[in-house]
Amino acid sequence: MKLTPITTTFLIAGAVFFPGTPAYSASCCGGGSSSSLLLPKASHAMIDTSIDIEQYDGFWNKEGDHINDPPGSDLNQYRLNFAYAHRLASRWQASVIMPYVWNDNQYSGLDTQTNGLGDTRINLWYEAFDDVTCVWKIKKLSDLKPSAYFGATLTLPSGVSPFDDVDNNFDITGRGFYRLDGNILIEKTIYPWSTALLISYGKYFERSINREYGKYVEPYDMNLGDRLLATLSLGYTQFLDSMDTVTYTLAFSHLQEEKAEINGRTDPTSGFEKRSFALTAAYATMARDWVFKATWGHAIDKDGWGENFPTTDVLTLGVSYVLR
Amino acid sequence: MYCVKKWLPACLLVILFNTTGCQGVTDDLTPSDNDKRPTVVSGSTGSQPTQSAPDFTAVDTLNNSRTLSSELALADSVVLYFTMWCPICDSHMSHIRSQLIPEFPNVRFLVIDYVTGSVPASRAAQLANGYASFTVLADSNQALHDTFKGSMGITVVIDGAGIVRMNEYYKDGRKLRETLAALP
Repeated sequence: MKLTPITTTFLIAGAVFFPGTPAYSASCCGGGSSSSLLLPKASHAMIDTSIDIEQYDGFWNKEGDHINDPPGSDLNQYRLNFAYAHRLASRWQASVIMPYVWNDNQYSGLDTQTNGLGDTRINLWYEAFDDVTCVWKIKKLSDLKPSAYFGATLTLPSGVSPFDDVDNNFDITGRGFYRLDGNILIEKTIYPWSTALLISYGKYFERSINREYGKYVEPYDMNLGDRLLATLSLGYTQFLDSMDTVTYTLAFSHLQEEKAEINGRTDPTSGFEKRSFALTAAYATMARDWVFKATWGHAIDKDGWGENFPTTDVLTLGVSYVLR
Repeated sequence: MYCVKKWLPACLLVILFNTTGCQGVTDDLTPSDNDKRPTVVSGSTGSQPTQSAPDFTAVDTLNNSRTLSSELALADSVVLYFTMWCPICDSHMSHIRSQLIPEFPNVRFLVIDYVTGSVPASRAAQLANGYASFTVLADSNQALHDTFKGSMGITVVIDGAGIVRMNEYYKDGRKLRETLAALP
């Protein structure tokens, strides 16, 4: 089949860069206000599955100007995310998230579909608190204490990257680099309101490259730039008569990656920025064992909301099951 | 439920290793620095460095017919850049425009649009992306794409004698600059 390749960035942006994790799941109190795959306190494990439906709507160039896709373009990526979180100790938990990616693109009248495993993430979290910090009223100073999580995420390049044996860019589902992120999540709930701040800073590991898009090249070393993600969210929890809850969360994210280095020298064409909003509705049963989530992530397709990066909307539908 | 708790982590790990262990994706898990470029016969006709580039005829977005030989007759060398009007391509082309074209005024830079599929659509993409000043060849049937094994960001340098001096991904543009600077 003769294919017309679509940009690497188009294909892998969502699978690799989307600020939210695939699982919007229960936080320390349970109920689904957090933006990370985190086990509630006193829970043994959690299974989470979600599907992302990402639609592309042009891109921002290096100057931050928004550029539309060619007329007739319809670029989509779908991701099925499998996640599992396991409590290791009273304050420690670990999780793994594996996406499977489908690319479905129509570009100037050409239709293409490909699929493959995305990059896998392994998380380790430390909870700097013993008791649930969600309160109804502030009665004493200690009621203001938030939940603090400190974590690390290792991204494994299990996806198909430009440096694999690919015939064209439609095969690409990952970036091809290991990355280690340090994460801090501060969260506080004073019912019905909650707020959270997630800061994640990642460093890639330099690697050798001897092939680009299936073509062997003179070997060289490359490293991607440091990556920063900051997400601030505000949530409101509505208690139903059955004591089930519905939590609405509005989040703002800033994602940026510094310029890459090739053989130790800066690549001026690399690096990116993206700012986006996400609105989540999470329904949790009274026991907080089942959580159903829907998230709409939206990037503003105007100048100045990103640089060197695709503009996309993402709809995420997911379900979590907590094992007590 | 006990079985689920006990075996689920192990099952997930098995799935992980099975899936990452096939389809060649382990290439990224264990990167190689071995030089595996195929050897080519210098001077033979082909698209790889040291080979003689085949002449071609293509139509630009203003409907002018252009050949490699005619372009080489007007310049010291020719650079072909394969674009699909993507963010990365835009970044590369912006770098070419701001850094390399002024530095190498006697080099002919030709952008190859191998995705848009027609001359009018290619012209529209060229203008929409702000590259009206470039000469863009509408590679509607992907003839150039196939001849030069082009893809997104692939950059080909052909010297005045028609010899291919570079054929690889643009990356940061440094290799292109070094290649052009080394030409006689």
